[in-house]
This record gives sequence, C-alpha cells and structure tokens, in this order.
Amino acid sequence: MSKKECIAMLLAGGQGSRLGALTSNVAKPAVSFGGKFRIIDFALSNCANSGINTVGVLTQYRPYLLHSYIGTGEAWNLDERGGGVAILPPFATQTGGTWYEGTADAVTQNLGYIETNDPEYVLILSGDQLYRMDYADMLATHKRNNADLTIAVMPVPWEEASRFGILTADDDGRITKFSEKPKKPDSNLASMGIYIFNADLLVETLKEDANDQNSAHDFGGNIIPKLLADGKRLFTYKFEGFWRDVGTISSYHETSMDLLGPNPAFDIFSTDFPIMSNASTRPPAFVGKDGTIDDALIANGCQVYGTVKHSILSTDAYVGERATVIDSVLLPGAVVKDGANVVRAILGENSVVEENVSVGSVDTTKDTAVIGNDVVVGKGEN
Amino acid sequence: MEKVIGLITCNYSAKESSALTESRPVASLPYFGRYRLVDFALSNLVNCGIRTVGMVMPYNYRSIIDHTGSGKDWDLDRKNGGLFILPGSAFGTSRTGARFLLRDLIHNKAYFKRSNADAVICSTANFVFNIDLDEVYAAHKESGADITVLTKTASEKDNDVTAFDVIDGRVQGVRQGVNFGDTMFLDCFVINRQLLLDMFDWYAPTDYLDLFEAMAGDFGRVDVRTYDFGGYVAPIFNKRTYFRANMDLLDPRITAELFPVDRSIKTKTHDTPPAKFEVGSRVLNSAVSSGDRIYGSVSDAILGRNVIVEAGATVRNSIVMQGCVVKSGARVENAIVDRGNVVPAGTELRGTPEEVLITEKAHE
Repeated sequence: MSKKECIAMLLAGGQGSRLGALTSNVAKPAVSFGGKFRIIDFALSNCANSGINTVGVLTQYRPYLLHSYIGTGEAWNLDERGGGVAILPPFATQTGGTWYEGTADAVTQNLGYIETNDPEYVLILSGDQLYRMDYADMLATHKRNNADLTIAVMPVPWEEASRFGILTADDDGRITKFSEKPKKPDSNLASMGIYIFNADLLVETLKEDANDQNSAHDFGGNIIPKLLADGKRLFTYKFEGFWRDVGTISSYHETSMDLLGPNPAFDIFSTDFPIMSNASTRPPAFVGKDGTIDDALIANGCQVYGTVKHSILSTDAYVGERATVIDSVLLPGAVVKDGANVVRAILGENSVVEENVSVGSVDTTKDTAVIGNDVVVGKGEN
Repeated sequence: MEKVIGLITCNYSAKESSALTESRPVASLPYFGRYRLVDFALSNLVNCGIRTVGMVMPYNYRSIIDHTGSGKDWDLDRKNGGLFILPGSAFGTSRTGARFLLRDLIHNKAYFKRSNADAVICSTANFVFNIDLDEVYAAHKESGADITVLTKTASEKDNDVTAFDVIDGRVQGVRQGVNFGDTMFLDCFVINRQLLLDMFDWYAPTDYLDLFEAMAGDFGRVDVRTYDFGGYVAPIFNKRTYFRANMDLLDPRITAELFPVDRSIKTKTHDTPPAKFEVGSRVLNSAVSSGDRIYGSVSDAILGRNVIVEAGATVRNSIVMQGCVVKSGARVENAIVDRGNVVPAGTELRGTPEEVLITEKAHE
C-alpha cells in the first residue's frame, strides 16, 4: 500500500458496558487481554502489518488509559513521518459540539481528518475485536471488484446468525441483501464491522446522513442499507481465520481460555504477523520452589508460589503460597494472596484477593466471577 | 538532572575469556533472561534524569548497537543530548585496571567539551546494581569533593575489582584486586566536568593508564571521596561470577531490589507473547521469559526469551539463552547454553556446580 492510498479510522469510543467491572474505569479497547496485550493492540498491529501508517483513533469513553497507551503509536511502528496515529476525541467548533452519536456520526464529525489526509480509500475498524487480518489483501479485493464499499464477512453458525448483521452475496461476492440481526436469516455470512470505502463516496454519504433526521448514524443500521438501496457496488471480503468480539464477560473469558491448550485456535506465538503492544519492561516471570503451573500463559513480572491451572497471568500478577488459580484470568498487577482460591474468575488490574479468600465457583452454570480493577476482596466480602 | 551527563565505557573485555565473551563484549552479555549487562549502567543514569549519555565502544560493538539502537528504550532519543556512540581503543582494554582508559576519554574530549554540564557520571558495564544516583550526586555536591566514587565493602576476594585505600571517607590510594573487607570500587563515579577536562591535560603524557592509576600520586590534591552503597552488587568479570549473579536472581528479594517498578531497569523491548507453560510441564524455582514454551521440566534455571523446552527434556541449574531449543529427552545441567543453540534429542549438556559447562553461541 502506498502511503496515503488508504487510511484507517479506528472506532474506540465504546464503553463496553457488557464487560461490567472490567470497563468501570477504562474504555473497552484498553482492557488487558492475553497476558500482555490490550484489546486495541490487535487492530493497531493489523494496520502496521498491513502497511497502513495513518490511523485516526476515535475515542470518547474514559479515554485516559487508552490515550496514554496509544501515545504516538510508536509501539506499533506507526510514528512515521507522513503518517502516524491521531487520537480523535469529540471536539467543539464555532457552532458547538456534541458527543459521538453512533459509529457513522463519529466518523462524520472527523471528516476534516479524512479530508486533510486526502486518501483514496478509508478503512473503518473497531477497536474491540481480536483477529489477524491483512487489510492490504482486503484492499486488493476491493480494487479488483471496482467496489464502492467492501465489507469483511465471515461465516457464523446458523443458530447464531440472528445476532449479527447478515449479508447475502452473489457468486461474484457482490452484496444483494443486508439485514441487521434478522430473525430468520437466509445467509450465515456475518459482517465483521470492517469496511473499506472509496473515500469520496464515504464523505458524500456521511454528509447526507448527517442531515437525515431519521438516521441513527450507524454504519450497519443506516449507511450500508442506504448504499445498497442506491445500487452502489458493495462486495464482501471473506475471512476465515480466528475472529472474536469480546463484548461480554463470558465471551472475554471464553476467548481467553481459547489461547490455552495444546493447539489454540488463536496462535499468539506466530511471528509473521506479530501482535505488537506497548508493554512495560518487567523482569522474567518467576516460579517459586512450590509453584505448580499447568497449561497457562504467564507474562513478565509475574510471581507464582502456588498452583496455577488453565489460566492466564498478565504482567506483574502474583499468586501466593498455597493459593490456587484455576480457569481464570489475572489482569496486570492482580494479587492472589497466600491460601486464596480463584476459580473461573477474572481479576481486574491491581485487584487483590486477600489470604484464604475464595473467589468464583467451579459450577459452570454460574456466571464467571469478575473483580473490578483496584478492588480488594477480603474475608466475608465474596 | 540537567547539569549532569553520563559516560559508559563499554570496551572493557573480560580478562579471563570464555565462550560467552568471545562473540560479544561484556556490556552486551545477556543477563536474567531478557536484559543485557549494560542495561544497569544505562538505566541508573537515566533513572536520575540524565538524558545525555556517551558510550565508549569496543571494536566488536555490533551487539551493543543492536541492543541500544537510538536509545529509545532508555528515553535517550532526544532532540538535545541523547545517546552518543563514542569510538574506543581498537582492541579494547583487557589490561587489568584500565576501565576508564585515559586515551579513550581524551579521544572523545569533544563530547565533554561541548557539554555545559557541571558534572559527569562515569560507569562501566560490568557491575549489576540499581542505585538512586540523585542521592549520590547530592552527596557529591554537599561534600564539595572533586570526585565521588561509589564503593562497597568487599565480601570476598576478586582480582578483577579495583580497591581503594580510604581514610575517613577520603581515597588515599588505588590498587587492583580486592580481599574480604576491602573498599571495592563499583566502577562508577561523579566528577566535575571541568576537572575532568583539566585532567586530560595533566595526564596526557600517560594516556595509556586508567584515570585512577594516573591519579595515584595526586590523591593529596584531588579530593576523591567514597559513597558507600548498601544495596545488592554483583561484579561480573568472569564466567563464575556471571553464573552466580544470574542465579542470585532466583531469590525474589534480590529480584525485587534490582527491578523495582518505580526505578525500573530498562531494556530493549520486544513483541514476544507471554511464556506458555504447556500441559504436563514442570517448572520449579526458575525465571521464565516471554515467548518461552515449556513442555518439559525446568528447575533452578533462567531461560531467555523464545526458548523451547520440549516434552521429556530437563533443564537444571542452568542458564539457557534466547532462542534455544532443548529437544525431547535432552538434559541440560550446570550449563550455560548461549543463544540460538539446539540441544539435540536425547543428548546431554552437563557441567558440575563448580565448573559450569558453556556452549558457545550458535553460528549465524
């Protein structure tokens, strides 16, 4: 990809309210994942690995950690002359200003950023999905099809299709029908919320949509149906790898557990499309004389003196003597003190489980236990 | 600390050579899995706010530059100041004593002259410790000394460490080699910049000497005082002290002291995922770096990044450096396996606790 052929607009303003305590004080894209990453690493790494060096990150909800984490984009090699990461929060103009109301509105409010960069194509991304994708390949498909808009799609199980935006396409991949969360889906191709627009068409369409009083200013709900009705050339880009939207506690927990086991569905060890992160420099993990670890990802700075099974310990997590951690995720700095038991739980950043306290339950009919960031769980509190 | 600049002499080669230092200078010796020895000198300087650091290079500097790059990971990629790569003696300074070879300093006079700093903090890359140099500099200013040297009471004999004869905190003499109870020099000192420039003139005729050797007859007029450091210190001049200084870090108290979050030791960052402890692995009393994949047994060991220990393989009381693969059924015991080596299935690499076996770096 040449430098300004394509720029990315990364939607990272969502609250992620269904992640509950994990997003009580940070935005969803900034939530830690996989031991040393944060969720936004995946989209930013995809950009860098695909040769896209200009990325606008649209932020809104609790942005401090997210902003400081992204910084100049240096950790993803995005701090280039003629490119770079721009953090785009809502702003005021002479005629006032508003919060971002919907995905399309967020981009509309930043049309100036797109116009300043003057690209041929605009890639729209979500900052809360886990996958590896070569956007350069998607763009090549877009150009080959002479498309106006290309939507990345993946087949989903038929029984889950009604949870997604579902597309029907002809043999050439041209989209003939789009239905947002259909009750009776006639296709199982789900939109991944990843779009490549011809920039001119995007600008024009968003300007029109902004004036439409009846629009919710949403890409899936409004923009795509309108372009389809207008007879524009909409094509699919089929993706068949690992892709997850970790929108809920249970999907966050499940997706984390998917990184474990002998042949994980998502291989974070692959080096040809590396996931980059703005990690802090901490010493290697230390396992004590009585530490027992079985099937776990353990990040730098961790100390394990107890038992860890089928779990993920993020940077600087601590498991004390006689403590047990099973089927759980410890976010950075989480502390499980001596003799404590943690089962099927997610412990927030810098949270503490006091000595001999139990958190979570082996009973899989119960919800995954979640301890918020900085929360201390003492005796009789759980 | 705007008014202080740093200098690290990285061209001291180990006198007692081993396979580890044939392929690289001591400054870039891997340490505790993910670090290099020079990280301590660099981090100590930048942690007290110094943003101008010169590094005197040995002839085989590739691995040092590979590690430091622009100095970004130490915040030394500055518009003003930052990291200066300075040329050093062609063949290093393996001669006993000369850690701050005058010739190397004088050849880089411009680095000191162009600065407007009040003082220079000089260090080698052979010592492991984490110190608050702000306190040292404050003590230096308060005492009014010309030079303040970092010292510690020696706990054992070491022929490679420099000793000072000290009376009432003031250095009277210098000699090579320390015995138990001696005042050992931690190869780190604060000197007023103008005095250093003056000394270049004073000592130009004997520029083949170490700065402190040249000063030996001058301790009457040059006020050199000690600053006694109470923390953990490991001098690394040979494979025995290198091995022990690594193994010391299996004591979490020492690790906590050397790597506090608020005065961190910086190093080159990599995008390696967390270590994976696979089903059936067994790891005891060991340090495991990011990118490692462990299927077998590891005890009393330090593993560098991206090491694979296959099922049925055993690593005991050893250091296994970056990128090594210990194949199924292989056994590594009392050994240092340098980077990139594959220990073939079913084979043994075994030293004794007294005489650790060293395998040289894999050829690239």
